[in-house]
Amino acid sequence: MKDRTYGDLLSRRNFLKRSSLIPLSGLLAQAPAIGADARRATFREQVQAAVIGFGPQGRDIAATLTRIPEVDLAAVVDTYNVMLQRAQRSAPGVATFENYREVLDNPDISTVFIATPTHLHKQIALDALSAGKHVYVEAPMASTIDDARAMAQAARDNPNLIFQVGLYARSHPNYRSVFQFIRSGALGKATMTRSQWHTKESWRRASPNREREIAQNWRLDAEVSTGLIGEVGTHQLDPTLWFLGKRPVAVTGLGQIMLWNDGRLVPDTIQAVFELEDGVPMLYDATLTSSFDAAYDTYSGRDSTIMFRDHRAWMFKEVDAPLLGWEVYARKDKFYKETGIALVANATQLDAQDISPTEDDPNLETPLWYALRDFIDNHAFGPYPPAASYEVGFEMAVITIKANEAILQGTRIDYDNALFEI
Amino acid sequence: MGTVRLARMAMACRFELVLQGEDEPWLRAAGEEALREIERLETRLSRFLPASDVSRINTHASQEAVPVEPWLLDLLKQSLYLHRCTNGAFDLTVGPLMKAWGFYGDGARVPGADELAKARLRTGMHLVELDEAHRTVRFAHEGVALDFGAIGKGYAVDEAMHVLREAGVERAFLHGGTSTMYGIGKPLDADSWNVAVVDPRSPDEPVALVAIRDEALSVSAVSGKSFEVEGTCYGHVLDPLLGKPVRGALLAATVTSSAAIADAVSTALLVHARPLAGYRSLVIRSDEKGPLPSRILHHGIPLYRTPKNGSTPFSASMLNGHITTLQQHPNLNATL
Repeated sequence: MKDRTYGDLLSRRNFLKRSSLIPLSGLLAQAPAIGADARRATFREQVQAAVIGFGPQGRDIAATLTRIPEVDLAAVVDTYNVMLQRAQRSAPGVATFENYREVLDNPDISTVFIATPTHLHKQIALDALSAGKHVYVEAPMASTIDDARAMAQAARDNPNLIFQVGLYARSHPNYRSVFQFIRSGALGKATMTRSQWHTKESWRRASPNREREIAQNWRLDAEVSTGLIGEVGTHQLDPTLWFLGKRPVAVTGLGQIMLWNDGRLVPDTIQAVFELEDGVPMLYDATLTSSFDAAYDTYSGRDSTIMFRDHRAWMFKEVDAPLLGWEVYARKDKFYKETGIALVANATQLDAQDISPTEDDPNLETPLWYALRDFIDNHAFGPYPPAASYEVGFEMAVITIKANEAILQGTRIDYDNALFEI
Repeated sequence: MGTVRLARMAMACRFELVLQGEDEPWLRAAGEEALREIERLETRLSRFLPASDVSRINTHASQEAVPVEPWLLDLLKQSLYLHRCTNGAFDLTVGPLMKAWGFYGDGARVPGADELAKARLRTGMHLVELDEAHRTVRFAHEGVALDFGAIGKGYAVDEAMHVLREAGVERAFLHGGTSTMYGIGKPLDADSWNVAVVDPRSPDEPVALVAIRDEALSVSAVSGKSFEVEGTCYGHVLDPLLGKPVRGALLAATVTSSAAIADAVSTALLVHARPLAGYRSLVIRSDEKGPLPSRILHHGIPLYRTPKNGSTPFSASMLNGHITTLQQHPNLNATL
């Protein structure tokens, strides 16, 4: 920002202070922003943690924890020895166990990260809470509504233990920033949302051991899998519902096996239409057959559409929408014939650090890091209800499990209010 | 027995994987995991992604010691070792030089003397301080930047191969952008994965046919991305010792046990324009005069002799590794 005039600065700061774009703070369920100094002063001791389940997600959690100085990875649990060997490669010297009871019985370990297959979350989470451990559980939190409810009840009954679900959008500054934009009326009247996740891969896992291979391919096992809508869609539907503050009243689904006809029963291509409380339609489609246009989400309204891609957001204004003023200064990016106005989180902070507030934050971390940072901070500053609380996790589990049923049956399912009772 | 072919774009090139075995869905699953590993490593090693480890190091390491994961510390240690083995020709800190010469996408150009001098002060592995006990990295001063361009692809190939071996794959061949490759075991129809190294000036002529079996081959060349100013052609590989693009060699290739080492060493060979002691290698010098054979220096890689019977000098069927480096292959669309 070398060529900026004072007038520019004033205008930008003015916009950032405009009351119309500042949300009511009560709308944002989140911890206060915590500075490094406050952290150092408050963390009396290192958090000793264990990762249970060392597949791709568990490994990512372990790697991300190395960038959070207040936590030590004390142990890794996995029932498959190849994964424990990987753990030793990633974190030499870490204690490894095949049975999660080993870490639950260890009084030095206060915290567990559960990244096992979805249908195995429940028992581990219940045992962990009974053992007095703080729990971070990957999303979706369970593969059945009964399991999710049992977990939510246990979390509710242990208010002194932190229970956070891995819905990372709730912790990510870019998502929080868009939440503010949308809640302050940037879309005008919201009229529809659409999300897609397109990739080309079989979703199968390989192992030299056939028995292990069956266990590893739980996502393709129709008995336990929550399908593409649960394992992937969860992370796109959650921010959409959070931004709009709505719950679906019904879902209509379709699913097909279009390419990977290898005996699986779990569709490789799905479509779902959710009807939200005030009639806003939420469209979702996912496929394992084509990578075209990858993954993104759009939230449309009378005045503009906001798009998320790779955890970054842009706003596309309608020609007849009122002038906001600040968009003159914002960075514009072209998407074919459309011009997107980059929505940059923490613009005022960047400006104060003399970093261009129109460019993306150079200190940006991965989505998982923000979720884990929130979770670890809660150890020193909490326990307070995390942004991705058991209520939020439970509601998302109900929504996606029912949607998966609709997809498998090719039918419409109503969300009875009783479904959402914990 | 069947063959499965997979491809993925990552690290600004096309990775292609051939797997052979009995169960095709299983081979595909193993191959997909290997390619995902490459994509994952790109998100950690890319200079362009703000949340990558390399971006984090480049942004903060001149002010404070930046903690890194064990694998990255190991890769940094290996890079320091390779820097010494190649007499400084392989260097992770060429970032400022690359920028000065405009190789980071803002238009290649010859930098001014002041700009070049400034960039050279910021170049050199001695400016990278590793603290093994605390697992941190720190730069000696402002402006130093890491660029894993000469080793990242090879490291990713090695890690992908590790994933395939863990899964139990016994026959596989992987290349990234036709320049860095590794073959596990041997293909169904031959005793090794055969790859042609061709002369960039006449791509139909193989200078060597390299047989790979549980080994890596890396080929570096100045062609592909280069620019010309007043009759002088500058390649995109920088000589960190001189602070200028390399001039002496057109192409360098090396065969070793690891793709990461091969990747780094082939870059260094291009800088030195001659084979290095201890590495099976081949270098085509860029001297304008003299026939091709006299411009090829090689050690441990035999040259390919053109048959005298007038038939096609070599054919695609000879290449069961299915690629000719630096050349498009009709079966695989392998492009630079």
